Amino acid sequence: MAGIGRRGFVKGATVGATIGALAFAVGGVEIIMTAQEARARGVPFRLLDGHQGEALEALGETLVPSAREAGIAHFIDQQLSVPPTESLLQARIFNFRPPFADFYRSAIVAVDAGSNKMFGRDFVLLSTADQRAFVDLMRQNKVEGWTGRPGALVYAVLRADAVDVVYGTMEGYEALGIPYMPHIPPEKRW
Amino acid sequence: MSNEKVDVVIVGAGASGSVYASVLAKAGKKVVLLESGPDWELSDLISSEIWGRRIKPAGAPILLEGKNPMTYAAQGGWGVGGAALHYFANFPRLLPTDFRIKSEHSRAHDWPIAYEDVAPFYDKVARDTGVSGDAKAEEKWRPAGEAYPMPPMKTFRNGDIWLKGFDAAGIRMVPAPVGMNSVEYHGRPACLYDGWCHVGCPIGALANPQITYLGNARKAGAEVRALSTVTRILTNQAGTRVTGVEYYDDKHGKQIQEANVVVLAAWSAQNPRLLLNSATDKHAKGLSNSSGLVGKFMMSHHVASTWGMFDEDTQNHMGTIAVQYMSYEHYPKTSHPGAFGSSFITAGFALKTTDLAVSRADLFGPELADYMKQAARHLAGIKTFGEEQPRMENRVELTGEKDEFGMPLGKLFHSYDEDAVALWNANLEEGLKVARAAGAREAWSARGAMPTSHLMGGTIMGTGADNSVVNSFGQSHEIPNLWIAGPSIFPTAGASNPTFTIFALSQRGAERMASQWSTLTN
Ligand SMILES: Cc1cc2nc3c(=O)[nH]c(=O)nc-3n(C[C@H](O)[C@H](O)[C@H](O)COP(=O)(O)OP(=O)(O)OC[C@H]3O[C@@H](n4cnc5c(N)ncnc54)[C@H](O)[C@@H]3O)c2cc1C
Ligand code: SF4
Repeated sequence: MAGIGRRGFVKGATVGATIGALAFAVGGVEIIMTAQEARARGVPFRLLDGHQGEALEALGETLVPSAREAGIAHFIDQQLSVPPTESLLQARIFNFRPPFADFYRSAIVAVDAGSNKMFGRDFVLLSTADQRAFVDLMRQNKVEGWTGRPGALVYAVLRADAVDVVYGTMEGYEALGIPYMPHIPPEKRW
Repeated sequence: MSNEKVDVVIVGAGASGSVYASVLAKAGKKVVLLESGPDWELSDLISSEIWGRRIKPAGAPILLEGKNPMTYAAQGGWGVGGAALHYFANFPRLLPTDFRIKSEHSRAHDWPIAYEDVAPFYDKVARDTGVSGDAKAEEKWRPAGEAYPMPPMKTFRNGDIWLKGFDAAGIRMVPAPVGMNSVEYHGRPACLYDGWCHVGCPIGALANPQITYLGNARKAGAEVRALSTVTRILTNQAGTRVTGVEYYDDKHGKQIQEANVVVLAAWSAQNPRLLLNSATDKHAKGLSNSSGLVGKFMMSHHVASTWGMFDEDTQNHMGTIAVQYMSYEHYPKTSHPGAFGSSFITAGFALKTTDLAVSRADLFGPELADYMKQAARHLAGIKTFGEEQPRMENRVELTGEKDEFGMPLGKLFHSYDEDAVALWNANLEEGLKVARAAGAREAWSARGAMPTSHLMGGTIMGTGADNSVVNSFGQSHEIPNLWIAGPSIFPTAGASNPTFTIFALSQRGAERMASQWSTLTN
């Protein structure tokens, strides 16, 4: 077909400035950066409150080491603020009905309720070992008195989000020594 | 708002709709395709698992129920090209036994046609879209046909490594047929084996509808209206003919598109949803539904995945997302004692980091980090697709809840029966034996939720309105200018990936429509 070349044909073509990178609001201005950069620069959350952000970071880090630094909470927060038809969240693949924020909010409430029942404290305040023990039970739907979507589903979705930010990026591939070989590379190495 | 009347309006610009558009536009008909998603361009196909999700359905208007709910969004498409914009392009065909399961086994239904009726269309689709494979090698299991137009794809260690194990199990593997270019074909380049197919191949090495049928259709004058969601099929007062469709445009404005013929090509769950939502006083149960079978006999394939960790480097970043090897060795329906249904065995495919993580879904924390390092070099997989028998209970119904256009949401009920579970288990056990014999240092089955892959049924074909919704061409038994395309017309599922058959049946149906045109026009 005319106009179709080999790898890299799109480099000079129509990839717009924002395709493949995320827009974060800093001081009222939209800036394109990765979730990791957004976290490092302390970009305020749009939809999550401070506790929800910390809870997602703690859960993400328990599930996939480095997810906190990779900006899991900023990624989810930014993605919850875009229309569902533009969302990159795994919630889409899990067939959730928008708004996807409902899932994350209720998951955090369920995790904290379970954690308080078991350990007398919110999940973010648990030791690393207790966080692991809790997630292991949640994975198996074994947290007592759990309410809302099954723990195994919460585990699967949050784990998948954390895998995205840690291993789904070009840096993630590089860290594992896997050649990325893109046809159209995501901008900002996403 | 009303639009100028056209010859054919097609609902859905995916795999099946694009074939109808191509054949009919080339036959000189004025064709409009209405597609609820965006008009994707090849430059939208970013090589990223994360960004690849933009081209998937969002907020699917189908609610899921049952013991084994369908993974609807993961299996579906949204936007021009449909799911075939980002399918894996595995192109096995059904075998003669699939067409006569009732005659041979007193189970399910026979198709109203035989393999021989579809075979010439498999050959035509292969020529038109480009298929790589080794037809001679497959002919051990099926009647002879034309050679594929391209030689088989390259293989890599992640595929070759399994051959010893299959050999030990007495299973002969042959090159898998795929809708991808092993060499340059029709001006489209050869594959580069980077494994990004599942988020769309922007160079055109994979035969997605945008660069095959839809490209031809557009050249022949077909119009594609993206972001246009059809909500009802309209009928004349007597209820004897369809007159067009109602849809909502990109600005959410209500529109009417009149047409001589309506083709529903909106995939298995949406086709019945639209028929049910188009009920009138003349068709109180929905269009083409005097049998009560619209929405019934929804089917899926269960996939038995086996993973092996090998000492050697499996080069698992190389290859395509389609499979390298396949076998019909256990396709006969009674191959596994105590289970029933066909199995389609495949091996070798490229893996991305999400696949590595999913292959051990139980691991998290430091154990997952260690595993990812190993898996990146040494993991390889095999997958066996299994047949599910059609059952009335697996169905689509309308619910009281509405979508943004006021159309009732559909609810898809899906549960596997004992036959399906037994077959899945047998395939998993066989996979483990193969993996061990192949020399895997560790081998395990992907257990957990039983997978649902592909969606078929819902408007099945048959010999008459008492046993089915459409005839073998996809034409409604009750309303002659209403046609249905895609896997929803499959009366049984077989175990082969469906899209080669979808293309072939659509080609057959569209040619029939063109040849019978004078009987269809209002
Ligand atoms: C990840 C993935 C991998 C796959 N791999 C393979 C494979 O290797 N081999 C194989 O054989 N098959 C594969 N498939 C399946 C294959 O893509 C489908 O079988 C095929 O695309 C179905 O064709 P269709 O025309 O029925 O539906 P689609 O191609 O999905 O097209 C239906 C279109 O209708 C549109 N639509 C729905 N409702 C409306 C409405 N109300 N109004 C307007 N438009 C509407 C949708 O947006 C969609 O674009 C794969 C699918 C996926 C998702
Ligand atoms: S592996 Fe081949 S078919 Fe797949 S995206 Fe790359 S070039 Fe296209």
